[in-house]
Amino acid sequence: MSIKARAAIPYSMSIIDLTTTKKPDLALRLKISAKIGEQKPHNCFQCIRCTSGCPSMKMLELKPHEIVSLVSLGFIEELIASGIVWACATCLKCKERCPQAVAPVDLIFALRNLAVEREAKVPESFMHSLSAILETGFIQRPQDTVTRKMEKVNREKLDLPRFHEADEKFKAAFFKVLELSQE
Amino acid sequence: MSVRAIMPQLGLELVELNNVSCCGTPIQSVNMLAALYLAARNLAIAEKTGLDDLLLPCNGCYLSLSEAAHFLSQDDKLKERINNVLKEENLRYEGSIKIWHTINLLHDLVGEEKMRRVVKRPLNGLKLAVHYGCHILRPSTLQPVDNPETPRKMEELVEWLGAKNVPYPEKLDCCGYMLLLSHPDAALTFSGLKLKAIQDWGADALVVSCPSCQMMFDMRQKSSAATTGAKLNIPVLYYTQLLGLAMGISTERLGLNLNRSPIDELLQKVSLISTAPSP
Repeated sequence: MSIKARAAIPYSMSIIDLTTTKKPDLALRLKISAKIGEQKPHNCFQCIRCTSGCPSMKMLELKPHEIVSLVSLGFIEELIASGIVWACATCLKCKERCPQAVAPVDLIFALRNLAVEREAKVPESFMHSLSAILETGFIQRPQDTVTRKMEKVNREKLDLPRFHEADEKFKAAFFKVLELSQE
Repeated sequence: MSVRAIMPQLGLELVELNNVSCCGTPIQSVNMLAALYLAARNLAIAEKTGLDDLLLPCNGCYLSLSEAAHFLSQDDKLKERINNVLKEENLRYEGSIKIWHTINLLHDLVGEEKMRRVVKRPLNGLKLAVHYGCHILRPSTLQPVDNPETPRKMEELVEWLGAKNVPYPEKLDCCGYMLLLSHPDAALTFSGLKLKAIQDWGADALVVSCPSCQMMFDMRQKSSAATTGAKLNIPVLYYTQLLGLAMGISTERLGLNLNRSPIDELLQKVSLISTAPSP
């Protein structure tokens, strides 16, 4: 297919998974595009620059170009279920180097958000961070530590300012944002 | 700690922000809007002080807040939505504050002349590798602190203290911290491979600029070593700790007694260098 002919194919056209005869979910694709704003995954011409520089490719076989392609084709549920989106180290090299201004890492964040919304496979600790912020404003309260000589120290001893835990007002406002994001 | 310790000698004053919260980076994967809100909230608190500049000594916070500032400057509707919630805490985000990271603050704002002037104990002969961390270099659309592919600022900062920079091809490699929650073994392999490379290139120490990277290379050095099978023995410290040493600030005030990597060997080298007669 020539480049010109490819470009003429409308964005909404997609394929059917022949192994499962499942049709891609177009509504989900719209949900993803709402999350990523300006950039358009269908601009990707599969040059694989993202994957060739991806540190998670070496270690965990994350292939950003495949993720972009699968999102353009609408196989989003499958992507989320596979759990591969959690293999990204968010080094942002794919975003920096993409000649088409597609940011695979932003897509990955959008897919992770969607996985949370749909209660799919999500590593537990990510959810812990959220509940800790709701409770204290931070992902963790300050903890005591020890020096290399095993001497116990805390913020006061280290002459650091006092820790301020989030108040009720913060919690109420933050909860409102979480509700807003469900709309 | 070391950021606080070095500021007076540079003629800079830090103002404490009391009711700030997490920057949003840790929950970007869970809920992007909530992450953006947290970042905007912190910016609004900083703006409320009436000051012009905000210093973020962490790469994650730097990216999160720069990203929020960028998004909100592009999208007035989103800004209104966020401000509507911020109103409940009597806050409002305008977009007037300038965001700095320690590296560009020291390199661009303080500058070479002043930096060289505050050095009392030059670190002559010390061979140091630098690690920028991903989130202050990329993406180039968000005013990173230096060139995303060929950064030089940290190298220059190290050289201004009299030390020698060790160039190494793995410089831009990720520390793996963000994988720690989902794939801890892979994360430690990231840091292990990088540390091994740095050791093989003959650096006396690794200088970092981000608390997350520091956690990987310093605190988790032993576990990182286990993934590569190599014996790792590299002191890892913040640039501000190194600068403090060159300024002659005590190791306790710089928090150097809290690093987990073999800092003592480095400190010995530093004291040998500074007591040796200058050539």
